[in-house]
Formats: sequence, C-alpha cells, structure tokens
Amino acid sequence: MLKVRGLKGGYGGRLIVDGVDLDVAAGEIVTVIGQNGAGKSTILKSIFNMAPVREGVVTLDDQDIFPVSSYQMLTVGLAYIPQHHSVFPKLTITENLRMGGYLLSDAKLLQERVAKVEDMFPILKERRKEYAASLSGGEQRMLEIARTLIMDPKVVMLDEPSIGLAPKMVDLVFSTARLLAEAGKGILMVEQNVRRALLASDRGYVLELGQVRITDEAQALIADERVSRLYMGVRS
Amino acid sequence: MATAIFEQLINGTMMGSIYVLMALGMVLIYGVMHVLNFAHGVLFMTGGYLTHLFFFNLTGSYPLAIVLSILTLALIGVVLEGVIFRPLRDNLRMQIVASVGLILIIQNGVIQLWGPRALQMRTSSVSSLVKVGQLSFTMQHFVIIAVVVSAVTALYLFLTFTRLGTAMRATSQHPEAAIVVGINPNRIYALTFMIACALAGLGGALLGPLFLIFPQMGDAPMLKALSAIVIGGMGSIPGAIVGGFGIGVVESLSTLVIPSDYRDTIVFAILILMLLLRPWGLFGVRVRGEH
Ligand SMILES: Nc1ncnc2c1ncn2[C@@H]1O[C@H](COP(=O)(O)OP(=O)(O)OP(=O)(O)O)[C@@H](O)[C@H]1O
Ligand SMILES: [Mg+2]
Repeated sequence: MLKVRGLKGGYGGRLIVDGVDLDVAAGEIVTVIGQNGAGKSTILKSIFNMAPVREGVVTLDDQDIFPVSSYQMLTVGLAYIPQHHSVFPKLTITENLRMGGYLLSDAKLLQERVAKVEDMFPILKERRKEYAASLSGGEQRMLEIARTLIMDPKVVMLDEPSIGLAPKMVDLVFSTARLLAEAGKGILMVEQNVRRALLASDRGYVLELGQVRITDEAQALIADERVSRLYMGVRS
Repeated sequence: MATAIFEQLINGTMMGSIYVLMALGMVLIYGVMHVLNFAHGVLFMTGGYLTHLFFFNLTGSYPLAIVLSILTLALIGVVLEGVIFRPLRDNLRMQIVASVGLILIIQNGVIQLWGPRALQMRTSSVSSLVKVGQLSFTMQHFVIIAVVVSAVTALYLFLTFTRLGTAMRATSQHPEAAIVVGINPNRIYALTFMIACALAGLGGALLGPLFLIFPQMGDAPMLKALSAIVIGGMGSIPGAIVGGFGIGVVESLSTLVIPSDYRDTIVFAILILMLLLRPWGLFGVRVRGEH
C-alpha cells in the first residue's frame, strides 16, 4: 500500500535519511528501529513532506503522493503522529477530535465519525469537555491516535508512540495499533523500545546512519543476534 | 462628585473600547504568529482616513463608509501578510523591522495623499447629544461602546464555535499539530491578519468623527493597547479585553484627581508596576524562568 523508494531527506547540509526503501501493506504493522539520531523521525517527516530537503518516490495505493503538501496528506489517506505531544492543549477533547476532521466539510459525517471514535476510546468520551492538557501522557497519545482516525486514513505513521508511557499504557497503545491493522490499515511505527515494538509488529527495518541495514520479519529480528546486541542490551 | 465619576466612567469605557479593538488585533497576531505588529497604529489611522474618504467622496453614509473601510483594511491585512510577513516567517527580528518600516511608509504615504493637517468628519452621531441626568454625551460615545461590544462578542463566538475559529486557536497552540490534522497554516495566518487589521480599521473609523483624523492618531491607541496586553498577559484574549477597558477607565478617572496632561503617566506607571510585580500579567500564565 505505502511504497517508499530511494527516500532521502534532511535539513540542509548533511542528508539524514540517505536512500531508504520500505513498504507497508494493508493490515500490517511495520516498525523502524534505530538508535538515537539514526534518522527515524526524519524518515517519517520526509514521507510526510515536512523535511526541508527531500527526494525519492513515495506512493500510496500506486498514487504518487511525494509532492502532496503536509496539510493535505490526510486527503490522500496518510496520517502522521509526531514524536512529541501534538494534542491541542487548550482545546477540549471533543474539539481536538473535531479538528481531526478539519478537512471534512460534511458536518453530519464529522459528527458521526467523532461519535464512532469516542465509542472506541471510552476515556475520551468520559472527559470530552476537559482540556486535552488535563490528560495523562498516555491518554494524550490515545487522543492523538483517535484524532487521526476521524479522517479514516489508509496508513498511520506513529513516531515513538510508547515513549515516556507507563507499561500499561504502552500495552494499550500497541494493542490499539493492532486493532487498526486488523481493520485493514497499514501502520508504520518508529521505535526505540525495540523489543516491545517488535513483539507488537509484523515486520521491521533496522536503520543505521540513515540507511536500512537489516530488514526481516519481526520475529526473526527479535531472534537476530546483531539486533539484540545493538538494541536490546543483550551481551553476546 | 458622583456625576463627575459617572461622566469619566462613560468616557473611559468609550476610550477603553477603542483600546480593546486595537489590543485584540495585536493579541491575535501575537498569539498565532508570535510577533508584535507595531504597524497596528498606522492601520488604525488608515481606517480613519479611509472612512473620511468613503464618507465624503463615495457613500455619504457613515455606517456604509465604516463597512467599506473595514473591508479595505481586511484586504490590506491579507496583502501585508502574504507579501511582507510570510516571506519573513521564520525571522522574528526582520518581521519587527518590517512592521516599523510599514509605519514610515504608511504614515508618509498618508501625508502625501491628504497632507499633514488634521481632517474633520462631523457625522450626525457626533452632533446629536444624549442626555443622562445633567450630563450629556455625544451619540458617538454610545455608538462606539455598542459597536465594540458587538464586535468582541462576534469575535468570541467565531473563535469558540466555528471550525475556522477553532482552527485558529489550534494553530496558535501547536502549529505542527495543526498541519498534521490538515490545517493550511498560511490560510490561518492570512485570516488572522485580516481580522486584526479589520479591527484596527474599525477603531479608526469609530474614533475619527469624535476627535480629528491625522497621521499620528493611531500612535496613542497603539501604545495603550500594547500596555493593555502586557497588563492583561501577553497572548491572552480576556486579558486584552480587561486590560483595554481597564486602562480606558483608569486614565479617565485619573483626570478627576490629577491634571489631565498626566493621564498617560498613570497608564505607564501601572504598566511598570505590573512588570515589576506580576510580569506575566493578569491572565497570563507564569512561565518558568520568569520571576
Ligand atoms: N529540525 C532539525 N534541523 C536540523 N537537524 C535536525 C532537525 N531534526 C533532527 N535533526 C538532526 O537529524 C538527525 C536525526 O534526527 P532524527 O530526529 O531523525 O533522529 P531519530 O532517529 O528520530 O532520533 P530520536 O531517537 O532522538 O528521536 C540528528 O542528528 C538531529 O540532530
Ligand atoms: Mg525521533
């Protein structure tokens, strides 16, 4: 579904992402792992047209989406949740969800979608009138995920969804990702929490210095001795 | 004494309304773009001149002249944002330089077109007096208060309940997240400038008939508005409203006890006191690192 070929990206000066190929199929969770500063976030920004310097091929269901502006990516079916918190802190939870449907001009459809998403996430429904800032870190993550679902995207990209969350919340985030995959969406995650992320994924890419070093089934990567040595703190 | 206080309360509320219009525009721009538009005073002045122009040379109707000058100012706002401020987006310092440059260009442009002397515009709302007890005020006093209260209410409803207004708040709170949900930031920036300039133009259009229309007529309102938003708390809309009305009322009341030439001193003394005691303002949030 999402197909990336020869992707390069950076911020002027040295290229941070230097020729990356990756695919995400419908119903699949794919995770990119790599150390601090490897360029994981920059991959997602380059795909989403948020990196100042970029080249390559990005298609979604065979449609060329490389030149699409970031703020129109949702109209072609691509959603992105940045690494740092991205709820609107002083909008209510409902207003946050409604902003997720900013691109929908049909007010009734927006109403229906918000109601549907609220049913999926009961915490958000209970506290709908509260400011998003009053939610815990994990709940804010859930709101960010819920907010992207209003536009019913084909592929959701998540930048370090588990970072800074309590273990219980980490489980909830990953199981939500699985739920979305089961509903036919493609999920592309970037993670430092390597073991947990791979356990929750179907396939993975190992990124080093802006290039993909290893790619395999998630199971195989967990078992891979190079991966465990480098990223899971296991000594050989 | 009671009547004198009442008289100054009405005068103060009227001037305060003008400050609120200015302060709201500046706070909107500051909230969304994080830059203070120092050219706001000359936009206010432009509103006065345009209303004069439309009133005498086009419509003959004061309300219609106001509407036309607001629309022109809105258009000017969109152009200023697109042509001057957008290319300087990531350069705060140059944006401030640009807004100071705009003051020179617009002020001198107006002097070229209309000459340096003050213009008069005696509308019927200025000639007709309203009696309240033994006091009388011009009709324009109440027109100003009513129009500003309506404009502020409309702005509040727009920001709170419409999709575009919510998107404006969203963009000011988290620009990156706004892009991620599909908001085109350039549209929001243009809209912000459009509204802010229209409010400044409305201020000039309302105050013009009461006082005179002259190239520096916007300077004092802008300084007062600036004080209002600092006192109210940078970026706070309720702060701008309370600050604007507060400054108007306090400066008017102060003329009861001290010579009216010292009016401005009182305002700036309050400003300095506020900066010393509570630098984050009445409604502002205390940020770590401030004290
Ligand atoms: N906005 C930016 N401007 C300039 N350089 C940047 C910017 N963002 C990131 N970089 C640089 O790009 C490199 C890769 O950053 P990136 O955020 O993609 O890494 P990451 O793998 O996501 O790391 P982390 O685990 O810390 O999130 C780093 O060296 C970083 O300093
Ligand atoms: Mg990152």
